[in-house]
Amino acid sequence: MKEKPLHVLLVEDNAGDARLLREMFRTEKPGSFELTHLLRMSEAMIHLGKGDVDVVLLDMGLPDAHGLDTVRQAHAVAPDIPLIVLTGLDDEELAAAAMKEGAQDYLIKGQIENRALPRALRHAIERHRMQTETELIRTNQMQFKDEFLSHVSHELRSPLTAIYGFVTILLDRLAGDLNLNQREYLEIVLRNIKQLQSMINDLLEVTGLQTGKLQIELQRTSVSDAVEYTVDTLLASASAKDIALSSDVERALPSVCADPTRLRQVLIILVDNAIKFTPASGVVKVQARTLEKDLNFLTLEVSDSGCGISPDMTERIFERLVQATDPALAGRKGLGLGLYICKELVTRLGGRIWAKSVPGRGSVFCFTLPVFSLPNLLAPAFRREKLTTISITLVVTEIGSQTGWLSDEVRAEQSRGVRDLLQRCLHSDLDILLPKMGPAGAVELFFIVAITDRGGEAITKRIREQFDDFEHTQRAGLTLLTSYQSLEAIKRNTNEPMKDLVERAATQIQELMNEETSLRMVTNGQ
Amino acid sequence: MGNKKILIIEDDGDVRLGYHVRLKANNYDTFFAVDAIGSLREARTHQPDLIILDLGLPGGDGFVVMERLKTNPQLAVIPVIVVSGRGGLANRTRAVEAGAKAFFEKPVDNDDLLEAIRKVLGGPVQLGKAEFLPDPKRRKVLL
Repeated sequence: MKEKPLHVLLVEDNAGDARLLREMFRTEKPGSFELTHLLRMSEAMIHLGKGDVDVVLLDMGLPDAHGLDTVRQAHAVAPDIPLIVLTGLDDEELAAAAMKEGAQDYLIKGQIENRALPRALRHAIERHRMQTETELIRTNQMQFKDEFLSHVSHELRSPLTAIYGFVTILLDRLAGDLNLNQREYLEIVLRNIKQLQSMINDLLEVTGLQTGKLQIELQRTSVSDAVEYTVDTLLASASAKDIALSSDVERALPSVCADPTRLRQVLIILVDNAIKFTPASGVVKVQARTLEKDLNFLTLEVSDSGCGISPDMTERIFERLVQATDPALAGRKGLGLGLYICKELVTRLGGRIWAKSVPGRGSVFCFTLPVFSLPNLLAPAFRREKLTTISITLVVTEIGSQTGWLSDEVRAEQSRGVRDLLQRCLHSDLDILLPKMGPAGAVELFFIVAITDRGGEAITKRIREQFDDFEHTQRAGLTLLTSYQSLEAIKRNTNEPMKDLVERAATQIQELMNEETSLRMVTNGQ
Repeated sequence: MGNKKILIIEDDGDVRLGYHVRLKANNYDTFFAVDAIGSLREARTHQPDLIILDLGLPGGDGFVVMERLKTNPQLAVIPVIVVSGRGGLANRTRAVEAGAKAFFEKPVDNDDLLEAIRKVLGGPVQLGKAEFLPDPKRRKVLL
């Protein structure tokens, strides 16, 4: 069988060096190599972009690229093509750095022995192929592991449900009276069921994090609500250990831009950990305040008077399955996934998490979250379109009721229904819905910042059509009042820079919302 | 007035019995089905006031059951509460879109389940837990 020739791309601007390299292929079997010689990085990039290259021989000093940049550029265009760099005699350090950037090998000019070049090329190709294969196997294994974990975790839930069902049936004396010992032992079973359940949830959470299934919904989120919820939830387990659990949230703390469910989840993990690792009669405290150094962020802190963490572990504890503390102190704990979950979540919410500790005196877990800012959130939508030909429209939608609102519950439900309806009318990722904050989650006034070339008519029409089919319209006699105003009207000068427009739109909405969000301008160059 | 009737669709016998004991103690009459086909038959026979539905069932999953219920006007009106080992946003959303009044992951807390049942049977008001389900298709909401 005739072997296909290997396509070698030689990028070398020095004619003498190039000639010497060419010579080295002479002794090879005819048809085993096919050499393309280019002088510049720019030409090489175009050639690589076309594909059909098996290996690249790259000089690191070219007229239009130098040093590691040559490797980076080539690697960026053709990450799947093995690369050998050519260096001078005193450049071995550079060569080593090039290999870190993804080069397979390096050859020192003037030191290449006869026949060594073709061999080096073949080796580079083979090594690269093996690496790719190994990587593929690894990816498959990871995926299998995640699917396996997810499957097992789900399957564990049915037997757990049966155990929970019957233990609580016994505890609630649905099967007859219990003596004190029986009751106590069943309480122990129940406690362990809860532990098992939380481990299963952690496992599912982690597989979700790794497979990208995790959904995060950023919205205006109250930190004090989340802190209060956390303290309420864990107060009982703190009192059981005689631990004083308290919170201290700075007054008039601004809202953050986060996912409220995820924020609660992070706080619960941290406080729950703090309780676990704090001996009886200790103290656990949750604090929240603005960051003095950077007003764009809030800091939340969970501190305890527990056993603490040794300094070398304060970073490692956020890794998966790492547990820093002596298990004897905490009794049986979880899977060592909690802090890893926290780190992943906080990072995805745009914050940072870290730990400080004095062993024996306690630990402090801190994380930051970005402060809710309307302009910051509006900016991406405005940026996506070229605003010169586009009008931004502010649609104000008011929901009224002919029969008067019913209970708070019904009202909240209808409000949510209306919100879903309005969302269906929007252009995904472009238009923005801002429900006016109301008590108990019920909202009767919505603002839509719509980016549309047809003024607000198109979106208003969509809303009206949808509203006619809305089930609550008939049941509760809801009415819809929609008006729109083009932001063109606000924008007196068409040449006004975009950021001013964003700011003014935000200000306008702000006034309508009658909220006390501090307005700051988008400063990151947009 | 007689007790309210609840049809439990669940293939795990122990879990089924657990529900039965708990619900009976709360004055509900229970009926059972263990797979998709049996579900429809039992629903037709007993005309329950409420259905508790597992998603992983032999012979067609819980979503299939909900679809089939919808094709029969008499059964379509029966409220469904999903209690499933299959959690996750996708399942939640799908269940709610299919008309489930609430969605719980196993093991569901007894009080949560009973409260959900009471609310569903009590009137047209939908449930907190189900309503707060985030919809992955949802657009940006900032407040």
